[in-house]
Order: sequence, then structure tokens, then C-alpha cells
Amino acid sequence: MVIAHLARRAALFALPLVLFLVMGSLIPHFLDVSNLLNVVRQSSIIGICAVGMTYVIIIKGIDLSLAGLLAFCPMISGMLMLAGVGTVPAIAAGLAAGIGMGLFNGLMVATLAVPAFITTLVVGQIASGLALIVNGGRSIGAFPAGFVFIGNGTLLGIPLSDLILICFLALGFFIQRKTALGNHINALGGHESVLRQEGISASRLQFFVFGFSGFCAAVSGLLLSAQMDTVHPTQGDAYQLDAIAACIIGGVDLAGGRGSIPMAVMGALIIGGLRNALDLLGVHPFIQNIFIGSVIILIVFLGGVVRRRNELATRGTL
Amino acid sequence: MNETLIAMRGITKFIYGSDGKPIRNTDVKILNGVDFDLAAGEVHVLVGENGAGKSTLMKILGGIIPPDAGELHIGGQKVDLLNARDAREKGIAFIHQELNLCPNLDVAHNMFLGREPRRHWVKDAATMYERSSALLQALSCDLDPRTLVARLSTAQQQIVEIAKAMSFASRVVIMDEPTASLTKREIDVLFDLIRRMRADGMGIVYISHRFEEFLEVGDRLSVLRDGRSVGGMRMSDFDPDTVIHMMAGHAIDEMYPRTHAVQDDRVLEVQGLRLTPRTPPIDLTVNRGEVVGLGGLVGSGRTELAKSIFGVRAFAGGQVRYLGRDTTGWSPGRLIAAGMAYLSEDRKTEGLVLGMNIRENTSLASLSSVATLGLISRRKEQTQAAGLIAQLSIVAQSAEQAVATLSGGNQQKCVLGKWLSTEPRLLILDEPTRGIDVGAKAQIHKLIDQIAGTGVAVLMISSELPELIGMSDRVYIMRAGAVVADLAAGPELTQEQVVAYSCLGER
Amino acid sequence: MAKGAKRPFGAVPGRMAAWIGRHVSFFIFAVLAVLATLCVRNFAARDNLVIILKQSAIPAVACIGMTMVLMTGGIDLSLGYIVGLASIIAGILAKTLLLPVPEVVLAVLLVGALIGLANGLITQYLRVPAFIATLGSGYVIYGLAQIVSQGSIVNRLPKGFLAIGRTDVLGLPSAVFIAAGVALGFHILISRAIFGRQLRAFGFSPKAAALSGVPTARINVLVYAISGTLAALAGLLFTIRVNAAQPNMGGGVFTFEVVTAAIVGGTSLFGGIGSVAGSILGVLSIKIIENCINLLGVSYHLYLAVQGAIILVAIIVGNLTHHRA
Repeated sequence: MVIAHLARRAALFALPLVLFLVMGSLIPHFLDVSNLLNVVRQSSIIGICAVGMTYVIIIKGIDLSLAGLLAFCPMISGMLMLAGVGTVPAIAAGLAAGIGMGLFNGLMVATLAVPAFITTLVVGQIASGLALIVNGGRSIGAFPAGFVFIGNGTLLGIPLSDLILICFLALGFFIQRKTALGNHINALGGHESVLRQEGISASRLQFFVFGFSGFCAAVSGLLLSAQMDTVHPTQGDAYQLDAIAACIIGGVDLAGGRGSIPMAVMGALIIGGLRNALDLLGVHPFIQNIFIGSVIILIVFLGGVVRRRNELATRGTL
Repeated sequence: MNETLIAMRGITKFIYGSDGKPIRNTDVKILNGVDFDLAAGEVHVLVGENGAGKSTLMKILGGIIPPDAGELHIGGQKVDLLNARDAREKGIAFIHQELNLCPNLDVAHNMFLGREPRRHWVKDAATMYERSSALLQALSCDLDPRTLVARLSTAQQQIVEIAKAMSFASRVVIMDEPTASLTKREIDVLFDLIRRMRADGMGIVYISHRFEEFLEVGDRLSVLRDGRSVGGMRMSDFDPDTVIHMMAGHAIDEMYPRTHAVQDDRVLEVQGLRLTPRTPPIDLTVNRGEVVGLGGLVGSGRTELAKSIFGVRAFAGGQVRYLGRDTTGWSPGRLIAAGMAYLSEDRKTEGLVLGMNIRENTSLASLSSVATLGLISRRKEQTQAAGLIAQLSIVAQSAEQAVATLSGGNQQKCVLGKWLSTEPRLLILDEPTRGIDVGAKAQIHKLIDQIAGTGVAVLMISSELPELIGMSDRVYIMRAGAVVADLAAGPELTQEQVVAYSCLGER
Repeated sequence: MAKGAKRPFGAVPGRMAAWIGRHVSFFIFAVLAVLATLCVRNFAARDNLVIILKQSAIPAVACIGMTMVLMTGGIDLSLGYIVGLASIIAGILAKTLLLPVPEVVLAVLLVGALIGLANGLITQYLRVPAFIATLGSGYVIYGLAQIVSQGSIVNRLPKGFLAIGRTDVLGLPSAVFIAAGVALGFHILISRAIFGRQLRAFGFSPKAAALSGVPTARINVLVYAISGTLAALAGLLFTIRVNAAQPNMGGGVFTFEVVTAAIVGGTSLFGGIGSVAGSILGVLSIKIIENCINLLGVSYHLYLAVQGAIILVAIIVGNLTHHRA
């Protein structure tokens, strides 16, 4: 069983590699350096969202406000920048918006026991609506060079987008594996009553998890807009599904308690690569969605089957 | 001789009504002036029938619930425990039956949950693993602290819990039925552990009903019955008959109604049913007009048997024959239509739909009988509800009252009413009078007798010995998933006999 | 969806609160209607009220299905996308393939039913939580709609087809009466029929319901099938109303609007509580708000954000007034 566990981990690590090689052999230009860089750039958006989403899924929730936040937060920052506000304070404002809405999600879940899917759906809708109102439904662009550089520049040859992704990967990994907080979050997803018996507040953890997810969404949105030098009010819709898919492919368990941030980022790379390959093949994005939607259902179903088989194996007493 | 670690004096706990207030003016209490001591370096066994109060007493010691009266002294000082954490900090550790670990974390992370050691803000995993290893080694356990708890057997999880308790420098360890799911070898390992803890000067409270275990590991035992301490003995003076006598008590002068007559037709026949692949086959019958009692300790498999018969639990072999037909695999809906009824143990989550009112609850299993062409007739339903309220003497403002606001006794009558409306031929009752006031109990007993009098076969699970013996024409006793006795009503069917079979499996 | 999630404020609400809770949808509707009449010019004009009715008919149809799903403690996030798929299929069958009208209607409803059935089976038997199952299936359905439409819209639909919903009856289009009929039918089903009682019991307490003989698996699957069918019907009526069949019809925004209406209408997210009448009032309530926003010249996008605020308020009120064991 331990071997199977390790094998599964190894497989998940190797999968993107294998997938990329396979796709590279089938699709011309897929393995071009410029294309691969593009893949990682795209994946970084999904990946950063996936880092935040992983924690949410671990505590048995889901964050459906990504789509709205990915548009609203950069819209705020963008409008501030265009109004003459400095790049840094503008970015800070966008981040604050994301964190604030995330904390609100946490509030609803912690104090009102509102199911996560509803509160995040609602907050996402509000954010989407606000993103459309704030500029009358129009896109904005032509941002200061500093901002655009974040999305498109490189540092020591590595695109800044990737560096930011790596930072978040490191941060997420650090919190989960190297802090007491990470242990408590896992425990919350595993057996909440034990946590309460140890005197740890579940509410505070929920605040953190949803606030952090909002933060990740805000960063992703800003990064996306920096990459495109545009904020389009519906730019977030495409990424929400992908972030969830990335986590699920990365083995984050919907039943809660189990999930690895590096695996989720791996999942993001897989999704990014898949989308890129399908784009190169001329497959319409909507059709790509069919595929990804089905994969999600399939993986969740299989995960459930495995879990039930394990449960039955350990039972046996009355 | 040895220092007294714990002294509990005059501990009393009242029964609480559905309004949340304690019922003070009655002799019936959960605990009634119980004294309990524990010295350093001893294993004190606590014994009692179901509902005797053992769990409650230990929950009070463990800080989980407060006593309504009485005092607790730890190390000679009077103490009021605020909560379980407080108890643990004062040196009392409670190893529950349902283990308190997070299955998705590894051993070390479970053991240090909430007090993870840190080094410059970073969780010091290395120290965690080291200390966990050390704690486990001290218990002669070479488990790798990196193992995920989900992969551990029950016995191993238990050792982890004990190690965790030890890491709090506990001097008192309470163990509630620790051997319930262990193999013989694992039990030996556990006993070794217990002996070692004892040698270290710890005090252990060992709740159990397995007589063969007491002798191996206990120093003395105390018996609780109906919320009172009825005495104890040193293990060197142990005599099973005396203990059984203390647990069972004497005959109570209660009259149970017995107007029904057992008929010859067989209604229920369980043949060779295995609750799990490892338990022996069960045979059981119930005739028309017969009240068959099902006794045994908690965890002996009575509810599992009932649920297996009623189609909500899969079983591992054998068959259920109802009214001459093999009903293995039938859904509850199909069985209900054929006249089977099951009043489950937990009325709040399995018996009643708490969001609905009396009328809606009582008709739920018999909707087709109050409907025409698929549409429920409000008039028919109200008539049915009113009839049941009258027949069962349900105290309520009207049939529209929400069941959540009824007292326990009236709630139970609602559930009973629901089943009576289905015009059952077999009525399975699981603890029908648990948590109900005396008046309602008597009413329900009368009803059961009347129902049997109309030819309904009744299978009644009960932990209340007087009720079990007084109501039944025959009593089966279960132990560890098997039926160990089939006793006919009569002067030989005594409480002692039931307790003996429940605990020992033999007379 | 966290079945059996605990209510945060206390156990049983007071009698007053419980009574308010049962009739909250009516209160909200009445308050809104009065406020609108008093504060917004032209609101109470006959033509305006007719518009509100016409705009409420189609979401009402879909809301009935969603209400039933919510009553079991689930959710159908694919509803809006079923609307789009139904729309384009209707258009193609009616115009491109020139099928007779009854067959078109039957085919569209069947598609909705089958999709709903799939959702239900995945949720019940594959044990995939409803929000994930319908989230995933929603994307699949959206993609399918895009494929079927091949990127184009079908308009100028045959008169016979349009007549289903556009026939003038007493000054209102027939679509309104279809919606009314559906509402009446399901109202009887939920409030009077055995199925409705079993549905409510299942929503409150799946364990107690199953032990009382309620066919819980069947009901769980059925509500999704019904939701899918009604979503398809809504798509059909939408298509007729705008005389155009397009795969983007409905969508996530429509799903959200329908959920908002259901919750404003008193449906509890935890299951067991909900009614057709309440949901209809909920639809009317949010359409009143939308109408006022239009009349006041406020941006529609603000309305989308406001909808979110409305649903939050409704949830909070619901938590305070719904009894939850």
C-alpha cells in the first residue's frame, strides 16, 4: 500500500512530463521553447488560483468566486492606475479587494454556516457585476510600463509570471507543510471535532483559507491583466473551471483533508499544457470545456470509489 | 498506602428534560451520590449494565460534562473542571471508544496537534517525529511516526492515543471499553502497556464488562447500578456470581401488562444470519402475538441485527424469512408495505423528521392509506393523526405542533404512531422506552401488550432488564454478534441470568 | 453540499419567527410591491405590470425545478446551460429540420430530461457531490451547445412554432399561461401529492425518511430530471419569446437568478423547506427589483451585483427563521 502511494505520487509528477512529450510528438511546434514558455505563462494564472483553491477544498469547501475576482480586482487596480494612482498602491488596492471578499466568504461560512459553494457563488456574482459596472462593461488597458513588465518581463531569463507562480507554490507549500497552521487546516478537513477538542478555533482557520484564496485570485487576476495589458470584465470565466480541474487532477480530495500544493500546481501545468495543445490543434475552447468537465466528474467519481473501497476494507467489526 | 490520585464524592447527575432543564424531584437520576476513588499504581475496573452510569461518571471525571452535585478531588485538592482540555492539563486523560484522531494526518502530527513545536516560526517536524518515536518506544511500540493514521489498525490507533495522553504527563488514564475491537494478541500488548503504566505509578480506570479481562489486569473493581455505587471488591476476592448479583439487583415490584397470547404461526424466521463474516450464524424466530425480547450489552449486535432484518444493513450470510418468504435484499419500503415496522433507537435522527409536525410524521410511513389517487387527503390525514393522539395519549396542542417541541415520551409515541398506522404484522422496537418519563413508559408497555394481543409479532430490543424480562414471552441474549441464549419467560428468567449471559456468554 | 449542517443560532426559533419564516416570501413581495408603487414612477402602470408578468414567466418555470433540487439539499449549477442547449436544439429542429411542432417540443423536453437524469444518477449513484457534478456537467452541456450550433444563431423561426408561446390570451402571451399551468401542476404535486411529502421528508432528514420507506434514491434522481426538463422548457419559451435560438441563452447568470429567486422565495439551502408559491413570489420579487432598476435608469450591471446582496440577505433571514434540528 505504501508502494502504491509512492507510485501514485511518482506518476503524478511524471504525468505532465509524459503528457508533454506525447503531445510534443503529435503536435508540431508544441515543444518549441516559445510555446512552452507560453504554456507556463498561462499555467501560472491557473496555478496561483489552484494554490488558494487547494486549501479551500481541503477544508471541504469550494471557491466559485474566482471568476468574478479575476476580473474585479484587476479592474479596480486598472482604473486606479489609469486615474494616475501609482502602480504599487493600485496593485495594493486590487489585492485588498480580493482579500476582503475572500474574508467575507470566510465570514459567511464560519458564522452563518452557509455552504461554501453558495457564498462563493454569490460573492463571485457580485464581483462580476461590479467588474461590469465600474467601467460600464468596457475593457480598459494601456497600463503603465511597470505593471505590464510584471506580466511580460523576465528576470535572469525566467519570465516574472513563472517566478510569481514559484513564489506562491513555495508559500503554499511552506504553510501547509512547515507551519502549525498548515497542520490545523488539514485537521479541519479531516476531523473537525478533534480540532475543537484541542481548543483550536475552526472559524479562524476558515477566515484564513477563504481570505487566502481571495488573495490568490486577486494576484492571478492582476497577473493576467499585466500579461495582456488589458482588463476585460469577463476575463475570469475561463479560469475558474481550470483551477478546480487543476486541483482535482492534482489529487486534492473533495472529501477533504488531503491535498498537496505542488501536486495542484502540477495539475495546473497539465491543464495549461492540455489547453495549449488543443488550441494548436484548432479545438474550440468550448469543446475543450466538455473534455475538462467530463474529466472532473470522472476523477471525482474514481476518487470516491477508491475511498469507499478503503473504508470497507478497514471496517469489519460490528 | 499509595497516594490517592482521584476522589469523587457524592457525584450526582440529573436526567434532563427536553426543555433543557434538569428533572430534580425524582429518584431516577443518571448518577445518584456516587463515590469513586483511584490510587496511584492501580487499575480500577468499573462495571455496570447498560445505562448504569459508568460513561457519565467518567465523562464527569474527564471534564466533558459537569456534575450537578458532589465534589471531585485531584491529588487531595478540590477541583472544578472546565472542559476536557482542563482535565487533561490537570493530568487526566480519556481514551474514548471512538478514537479521537485525524485519519488524514500522520501519527506525529496527531500527537502534537495544537502544540506543534516551533523553531523560528517554522514547524519543527524533526522534533515532532523524534518525540513521537520516543513516546511510542516508551510503550514498546515501534510504529513509524510518519505513518498516516488512516493506515493504522484500531489497536495501533489506540496506542497512539495512549502515547498522546502520556505526553501530557497524565497521571490518570480512563479507558472506555478499550478491547472492543482488538484481537487476542493486541489485547495482550495493551495489557502489557497497562501493567507498565501501573508500575510507573499511574492510575487507570478500566471500564469493561469482559470478566475474563478484569482478572488479568485489574486490581479492584466497583459496580454501578441505576446510577448508584453498589459496592466493590479487590480482584483477589473476585467472584463472578457476586458481581453479577450486584449488577443485576433484585426483582422490582413492577407489574408489566401481559394480556396477549402467543400463537403458533411463525412471522419472522432468521436463519443462519451472520452480521459480519467473522461472527457466528444467528437463528431467531418470532410468532404471531409473541413479544420476543432481545437483550445484551451495547455493542453486542442487537441493533445491527434489527437493521439487517429491516433491509437497511447488509449482512454476510444466511437469510431472513418473513411471513414465509425470503426477504433478503428487500428495501425498507417493500418491507413496510408487507407489514414490517422498525422503531429505531435514535428517534431524533432516524425516527422523526424534526422539521415537520405530528400529523406529517405519523403519516410518513403510511402515506398511501391517507391519500386518494396519489394526493394526500388532508381530512383523512387529520383523522388519522387525531386518532393516534387519542389512542396513544400524546400530549400536544394539536396535530399541527412541531415534533421538535414535544417531550421525549411524546416524541416516541409519535414514532410509535407512525408505525401503528402501517398496520404492521411484525413490529421491531429498538429501546422503545429509553429516555422517557415513567408515566409514558407505562403507557407504552400497555400499548405493546395490546398490539401483541391483536396478533402482531413484536421483537423488542431493550437494555432495561426489568422491562426486558417483564414484557417478553421469550428472551434472546446477544453477545459479540452471536445469540448466546434463548430463554423462556418464567421464574428462572432473572436479571442475574440475563446479565450472566450478556457478560459471560454462559450461565 | 453539507447535508445536516448545523444551524448557527440556537435551536428552535420562536413562534413569531417561525411564522414569519413560513411566509417570508409573501412579506418580501408585498413590501417590494408597495415600495415600488410609492417610489418609482410608472411602476404601477398596467403596461409595466404586464411586462413584469411576462418577464417572470420563464424564470418561474426554471425556478420550480431548482426549488425541488434545493429542497433535497442539492443544487443544479447546469440549469442555465441546459437552457442554452435546449434553445439551439429547438431552433434547429424547428427551422432547419422543419419538424412538426409537437415533435420539436417533445424532443427538447426529452433532452432536458435526459441531461437531468444524468445529473441525478451521477449525484446519487456515483456519489459525486451535486455542486461538482452539475458544475462539470454544466461545462459539458455548454460545449455541446456550442458544437450543435456551430457558432451560429437560428432566427426567424416558423410561425407555428412561435405560436406556442406568443399566442395572445387575454392580453398576455400564452407563455405566461404555460408557466402558470406548470406552476399549478407542481404546486399540487409538492404540497398535496405523496411525492411532495416524501420530498420534504427526504430534504429534512434523509435517514429518517429512508427508514420510513421513502424511496430516497429515486427521489434524488427524479428531482434533477425534473429540473432539467423544466430548464429545457424555459429554454424553449425563451427562444420563442426572442425569436432566436442561441447556445448562449441562459448561462451562469440565469442559474444564479433562479437560485436567488428560490431563496428569496423561502427555500432553505439545507433542504426540506420550499414551495412553488414561495418561489413564484420570489421570482416576482426580483423581477420587480429589476424592473425598478430599469425604470430608474440604473445600470443593469449594478443589478447583477445587487442580486448577490439580495441572496445574502435572504440567506441570513432564512437562517434566523428556519428551524433546523
